Amino acid sequence: MAHSSGLFLSVIGGAALVLGVAYGWTARDYRASELDALTDRLGQLERSNSDWAAKADQASSLEARLSELETELAAAVKAAEDAQQAALAPVATVADPLQQPATNPVIADASASEFGNPARGEEVFAQCRSCHQIGQGATDRIGPHLNGIFGRRAGAHDGFRYSDDMQMMGADGLTWEIETLDAYLENPKALVSRTRMNFAGLKDSQDRSDILAYLRQFSASPQNIPEAAPTAQAREVELAPEVLAIVGDTDYGEYLASECKTCHQQDGSDRGIPSITQWPTEDFVVAMHAYKRQIRPHPVMQMMASRLSDEEIAALAAYFAKAE
Amino acid sequence: MKLNRRAFVGTGMAAATLSAPMVHAASHGKPKVVVVGGGAGGATAARYIAKDSAGEIDVTLIEPTRSYYTCFFSNLYLGGFWDLENLSHSYGKLASDYGINVVHDWATGVDRDAKTVSLAGGGSVPYDRLILSPGIDFVEGSVPGWDMSAQNAMPHAYKGGSQTELLKAQIMAMPEGGTYVMVAPPNPYRCPPGPYERISMVAHVLKANNPTAKIIIADPKEKFSKQGLFEEGWQKHYPGMITRIGPDFGGENVTVDPSAMTVDVDGELIKADVVNVIPAQKAGLICDAAGLTEGNWAPVDGHTMVSRLDENIHILGDATNQGDMPKSGYSANSQAKVAAMAVRGALTGSRVFPAKFSNTCWSLIATDDGVKVGAAYEPNDEKIASVSSFVSQTGEDAALRKATYEESIGWYEGITSDMFG
Repeated sequence: MAHSSGLFLSVIGGAALVLGVAYGWTARDYRASELDALTDRLGQLERSNSDWAAKADQASSLEARLSELETELAAAVKAAEDAQQAALAPVATVADPLQQPATNPVIADASASEFGNPARGEEVFAQCRSCHQIGQGATDRIGPHLNGIFGRRAGAHDGFRYSDDMQMMGADGLTWEIETLDAYLENPKALVSRTRMNFAGLKDSQDRSDILAYLRQFSASPQNIPEAAPTAQAREVELAPEVLAIVGDTDYGEYLASECKTCHQQDGSDRGIPSITQWPTEDFVVAMHAYKRQIRPHPVMQMMASRLSDEEIAALAAYFAKAE
Repeated sequence: MKLNRRAFVGTGMAAATLSAPMVHAASHGKPKVVVVGGGAGGATAARYIAKDSAGEIDVTLIEPTRSYYTCFFSNLYLGGFWDLENLSHSYGKLASDYGINVVHDWATGVDRDAKTVSLAGGGSVPYDRLILSPGIDFVEGSVPGWDMSAQNAMPHAYKGGSQTELLKAQIMAMPEGGTYVMVAPPNPYRCPPGPYERISMVAHVLKANNPTAKIIIADPKEKFSKQGLFEEGWQKHYPGMITRIGPDFGGENVTVDPSAMTVDVDGELIKADVVNVIPAQKAGLICDAAGLTEGNWAPVDGHTMVSRLDENIHILGDATNQGDMPKSGYSANSQAKVAAMAVRGALTGSRVFPAKFSNTCWSLIATDDGVKVGAAYEPNDEKIASVSSFVSQTGEDAALRKATYEESIGWYEGITSDMFG
């Protein structure tokens, strides 16, 4: 649980859907829910004996990788010590600085240059699910689906409307590999300044390498995407089919939306307050009902949602889904 | 149950049928809307009418200043959290992107029969619908000894711009261990938590630069907005620095002497280094000049923000007497959208929906210690009434307070782009 506070912080700044939840949650609530999730996960693992073989394989391959890394580390430490001795020798004091020993990458680099534990990565990914789907049947939601993300050019997945900046970065040649994804996950706006992804970033490099290991499973050979689709999740609030089926009146939605735009900027800027333009209709409707029923705790949003009828929520969703 | 637009309008929206057919007679070209005052109410109304009528309505905005300095967030400038240039906004985009005719002049009067607005620079501008959003002016004699000629010695800093800069300079120039006195205003006034956020920001600056300085508030009100939150924060961040003299101890009985730099609070004379006098307030002068006030404020009907005294004039924001909404930039912005929709409906027959209003006021108490209060409102025939509300709680954790502060920055960026495009 050493990483739980790091997780909590990233949830606070995290995706729009998660943002509201974090306001009212204490770290204790979060830990309790994390504990529930872990208990469920443990139950799942215990139930599926067939998983054990795979896990054992994975464990032995991780062990092998670990011993490789240990060997590399020992070699690197030795090289560094040798170089330090050389530097201390009288001849080396006048040496060209270019010949100084390079900082050892294994020791100095805190970025996730290696894949971590995919099972733990799946848990870390929970906070991404409000916006991103992955696995069999995954579709674009608030964010694009992440099947086949490795090797994909940034902003290039057909059918998803990216921010201008993301498209520009893709055009400039940004491709999603372990290093670029690691940098993006650490601080999205540092890599793509006006990305629509409203997420503060994962500061813990272990979280990032674990999540990258999880994502990697859905990229190497997409035909091997597991049958148990992680997208089969219950909605945040149960809504009657007729509520979801309401076709929103976009004109009315535009008027109602003028109230939202006092805070939520239409151009997708999201400093302190998330962007809500171009959300899929259903996600918008579910989120607003979650505020209306006070499942999501943000007081301003609860107040705004409290007086909106089902038709008005549908109207807003219809308007924002198409808003430029 | 799949609702289409027709069914929805039929069941939910009686208001739409009432206002739909009143299309403007096209006898003298396009209908003309004149907006007086380019702040949170006026700039928003002008922009929404121009944007949503897509050229069907001529919009003129009359505003004397070329750069608008927001009053909201000016306290953060005093506290060193916000740059002066980030308070300033230009009207350029309203002209270039929205086709609004921006006239930099003072509106001095309204001829309600001829439907024209006269300008200080000469000439007049005709209107079919007029929107007044002039903000506040001060009630003469409300603080004996103070008038506008004393505003350099004892600044109000309650309208954005040079007064804010002046007050900041005076605070920075206070002698070591000096005294800052605020004469707080009686209700109702612009930005209910504003004076107390200002006290927090002044304390923040003095704590860093002049920690033995004292702050005194002479206050005519028994209670004030977010009182529990502010008092908790002052205790926590600025213990012993701030003294508030309420009406029980003579806080309503104040006179000032700008030449001697003294404040007399119920017979007790305080020698001060900075005196920030925030006088009692009333609707911007143009409302009175146009004969649209009752008492200090301009009464309006909350369904459309139309004046109760003239059906062709809508009034927004701080100048109005509308009911439960506080006088704030957020409120004015919210009211502007209702008025813009009503004006377009009346002039072009566009759809009109039932009015909804909201307001949230964020305040900063210290670094990363933000709080907020807000409510949602709906009009009835009598007034705009509060339908639900919330307020930050005492004892909230630091992460929530920081998130609240960051949210306020998001709001500032949101509302200023909503006003100026």
